Amino acid sequence: MRYKVTHRTAYRYNYPVSVGNHLACLRPRALATQRLESFTLNLSPVPGEVIEREDYYGNTLHLFSIQEPHRDLVVEAQSEVEVLATTPTYGSSVRWEEAAALLPQDHSTSGLDAYQFRFESPRIRLRSEFAGYARQSLTPARPLREGLLELTDRLHREFRFQPNATSVSTTVDEVFARRRGVCQDFAQMQIAMLRSLGLAARYVSGYLRTTPPPGQERLVGADASHAWISVYCPGEGWLDLDPTNNVVPGTDHITVSWGRDFSDVSPLRGLILGGGVQALKVGVDVEELPALATAAP
Amino acid sequence: MSERSMTVELYHPPLEEQDAYDEMSSAEGACRPHWAALMEAMDELGPEELGQRWARAERRIRENGITYNIYGDPQGVNRPWKIDMIPLLLPAGEWQSIEAGIVQRAQLLSQIVADMYGRQTLLASGNLPAELLFANPAFLRSLVGVPVPTQSYLHMIGVDLARSPDGQWWVLSDRTQAPSGSGYALENRTIVSNVMPDLFRDSNVMRLAPFFRAQREALLSLAGTHSPRIVLLTPGPHNETYFEHSYIARYLGFTLVEGADLTVRDRTVFLKTVEGLERVDVILRRVDDSFCDPLELRGDSLLGVPGLVDAIVAGNVRVANALGSGVIESAAIMPFLPGLCQLLRGESLKLPSVATWWCGQPYALEWVLQNLESLVVKPAFPSRAMEPVFGSDLSPEERERFAARLRAAPYDYVAQEQVALSRGPVWEHGSIASRSLVLRVYAVNTGNGWTVMPGGLARVASKDNSVVSMQRGGHSKDVWVLSDSPVDTFTMLRPKNKQIELRHDKPCIPSSVAHNLYWLGRYVERAEDTTRVLRTVVWRVPRAGRDELDCLLALFQTLGIEGGKLPKSRKALTLPQRFEQELLSVLTDGSRADSLPFTLGQIHQTGGKVRDRLSTDMTHLLGKLRDVLPTTPEETLMAYPPILSNCMELLSGFSGMERENIVRGQDWIFLSLGRRVERALFNTRLLRELARPFAEKDWPLLELLLEVADSSVTYRSRYFTTLQPLPVMDMLMADQSNPRSLDFQLAHIVHHYRKLPRHLPEDLQAMQHALERLRSFDMRKVSYPLPDALQTARSSSGILRLRRLLDETEELLLTWSDNLSSRYFNHARTLAINIGQ
Repeated sequence: MRYKVTHRTAYRYNYPVSVGNHLACLRPRALATQRLESFTLNLSPVPGEVIEREDYYGNTLHLFSIQEPHRDLVVEAQSEVEVLATTPTYGSSVRWEEAAALLPQDHSTSGLDAYQFRFESPRIRLRSEFAGYARQSLTPARPLREGLLELTDRLHREFRFQPNATSVSTTVDEVFARRRGVCQDFAQMQIAMLRSLGLAARYVSGYLRTTPPPGQERLVGADASHAWISVYCPGEGWLDLDPTNNVVPGTDHITVSWGRDFSDVSPLRGLILGGGVQALKVGVDVEELPALATAAP
Repeated sequence: MSERSMTVELYHPPLEEQDAYDEMSSAEGACRPHWAALMEAMDELGPEELGQRWARAERRIRENGITYNIYGDPQGVNRPWKIDMIPLLLPAGEWQSIEAGIVQRAQLLSQIVADMYGRQTLLASGNLPAELLFANPAFLRSLVGVPVPTQSYLHMIGVDLARSPDGQWWVLSDRTQAPSGSGYALENRTIVSNVMPDLFRDSNVMRLAPFFRAQREALLSLAGTHSPRIVLLTPGPHNETYFEHSYIARYLGFTLVEGADLTVRDRTVFLKTVEGLERVDVILRRVDDSFCDPLELRGDSLLGVPGLVDAIVAGNVRVANALGSGVIESAAIMPFLPGLCQLLRGESLKLPSVATWWCGQPYALEWVLQNLESLVVKPAFPSRAMEPVFGSDLSPEERERFAARLRAAPYDYVAQEQVALSRGPVWEHGSIASRSLVLRVYAVNTGNGWTVMPGGLARVASKDNSVVSMQRGGHSKDVWVLSDSPVDTFTMLRPKNKQIELRHDKPCIPSSVAHNLYWLGRYVERAEDTTRVLRTVVWRVPRAGRDELDCLLALFQTLGIEGGKLPKSRKALTLPQRFEQELLSVLTDGSRADSLPFTLGQIHQTGGKVRDRLSTDMTHLLGKLRDVLPTTPEETLMAYPPILSNCMELLSGFSGMERENIVRGQDWIFLSLGRRVERALFNTRLLRELARPFAEKDWPLLELLLEVADSSVTYRSRYFTTLQPLPVMDMLMADQSNPRSLDFQLAHIVHHYRKLPRHLPEDLQAMQHALERLRSFDMRKVSYPLPDALQTARSSSGILRLRRLLDETEELLLTWSDNLSSRYFNHARTLAINIGQ
């Protein structure tokens, strides 16, 4: 599938801001399953210089600062992305306990890279209650994939998707207690459960296609940034799971970035001198593009 | 935030005294040879003389403002630093082995940190467990792979040592990101060496200054540019060791800054100064690393500089110690050091660490669970909040629950043996007692190897406390390393090897410093005005008749005091008593913003923030001013006149030094502007008392005004004894030669302001116009009725014009002061708001 994604964030400040320092994490990753055709970042006011850097996880960061008084800030990221169809079968044969036990022993680059996603992180706590919840699906000796799919299904059924139920600072403990949240909470909740069992799970930030294919229901979380998770299956790779929609992400999901939790990949951060935020508007539009004509032989 | 950085969370078993290693006496009870000279000297002086000398030293500690902040204690801010009179003595031979051990440890830790933030080969080879990075909140991923000069990963380290009963020194903990205490060690040396100066001179004590020289040169070389700007980044006056930050900044000649003093533009760090933005090359930081950049690190930090990480990535600034170096403060590293030392250096570890088990290793976890009885369990990563758990304190059920907690996340815990500390002599109530002690040693990386401070900071536990902590009432000690040969007596003030270039310029000052100096000037003048008025009023009130009381009240109200305890009606019978109560309140109630104790408190606070800009004598005076009012308020007004005189003397002393002892740079201009603006405002209020019809009963006020304006003598020499409003007005308003006239204040404001870089022409003009208006005001047109005469119509229009002039002048002064703030100070210390989604 090919998409054109427009992600627009507009701040209105109540007083003029004299200096604003910002950090954006908006460029979709280039992956084996995803081709980034183009990316542009439009900023208003126009900053002096936009620094592009790669972070620890390989995501692309854009840093800019606006040093003239302004009352409005608009950050618009436009990407053209092709998501390739895959049918990953990772984790089908490995027992989940085995996956957890293999993790600390693997000192290869990919093994170490995965291992860092099995610990607490700024927004993820490990709790025996979380492990207990997950163990009802990841039962002894169950294949990892099977257990994960069931856990994803249970989260989808037993936790309620409720916009505005939580804020960006809601903790996993609160989400677990109240059994409700938005996609970010679903993702962080499942990550906390899996890490509590000793598995490696990371937070994926991205987009969903806005209009469903004919005859299908529209997915929850379109028209905004979306979040799901990815679980490491030793020796195979990362398996994506979307607990908000109870699906294994395929060509409807566009991956922007990943990290330990939301705090590593928040799309736009900033520190401003002089004003306060009066209004914030975020809009995401995911438009399908026609397939590229295959080059003639 | 550097919480308890001066605490050694060290819990030692209650050893019988004879079991602990005694620093001073051998097992047989004989004095160890290297203590003999000190003990003889103390015997010779006797307890009385020593007591007197120590009392002088303690006064000096107070006057020097050597302080230490205790968290969570309202009285804890600016506690006097606690020093023990008796230094800890170490013979040179023993010191050499400590020094060699510290150097090796510093090199080893640097290599490990560089690998953690570089290629991570130790993880890939399995020589370092990956959990030590991945589960460690102090591992800052943004800094991985960032090119950092090797010597800045660890520019300086602090190592806490304790001595076991067999005489062996053990490492208790490593401080690798912003070790505190080296400045206190230096101050301890200054104080303690002065108590027994002869002994100090004759003992060949190795000096501390060469260490600081090494540190300074290390930072200069880190910058790599010709004349770099180096700043010391502090979390601010509420930090535990703020005194030391300002002390070290002054001693090393660096600028003391808070995060809000810095800004990042074009990937470069700048200091906001009075002149504009000035590039910063090196940051010596005392802010914990994760708080240093709210944009890329902790978003909730109010102490950092947004964009700092990116400036580091771009290679435009060096930070010492490098951001992220706290990763190796984890005690979990300790069990791996002997192996890593062999692996990385081909040497065995010279200084052993206290026996430590990292529970992340399965066999270590089992061992710990079986031997919990004799161990103390702590968080593996210091940033995790957890009180140490003593196995011996746990009931069987608690033990089981605790074991489950360890098994759930074993990598989060370490267990350590409880250490038996050595004991050393302390001076307590006129005699020698014995207390447990630990020693913090510092080393600095010069780029050509490590230099260890000969000595360091020893800390002793308070009597009934098993935790050696400055937060919990412990004392510190100077540490004398006794050399066998004459020592290097280099001081920082006289560099030997370099010819200094003569300079007459003063480096430009940070905006926040200008701000504090301006307000110091205002508060000092405000205190002086308040003291003068109170001194004039207080002793008169009890015996004043009705008319005089009205005059005293009018004078009192020139302080700008509103309401308070005074009755609305001046006719009220209770007025005299209420007035006395009000005066007492202004003298004693520090919660009132218009009281004398409040203003003195502000002087102390703003003065403390710029102490690195003031001379030692001025700092002394500020220390004395803080103590000038009795700690328990006096109950009668009559106790206050001598106190007020004393206060007046100190304030005059301060203004004298301000005039005579400060170079006329920007520092001085801001301090003076503050004083002139405040005095001009006070002047307008005094003069307003003359801008009203004068009845006969008001005439005593004239004398009071002259007294407050310190102009009585001049008046008498000019006009003999006849007191009339016009000449008084002339002296207080128009006399250009009187340093207490309004004209004098405005003229000096114009004079100083003109010299400021980037001054606003329109503000300069406004002040000039005010001065011209004042000078063109025709006082002769203000006529007052003589005591017997009737009021004429003409007089009131003159009085109205005078009043308007004063109102306009006051208004201008206030606006002008605001403009000064927004021009020079406002962009400093404005906190950034985080707008992360």
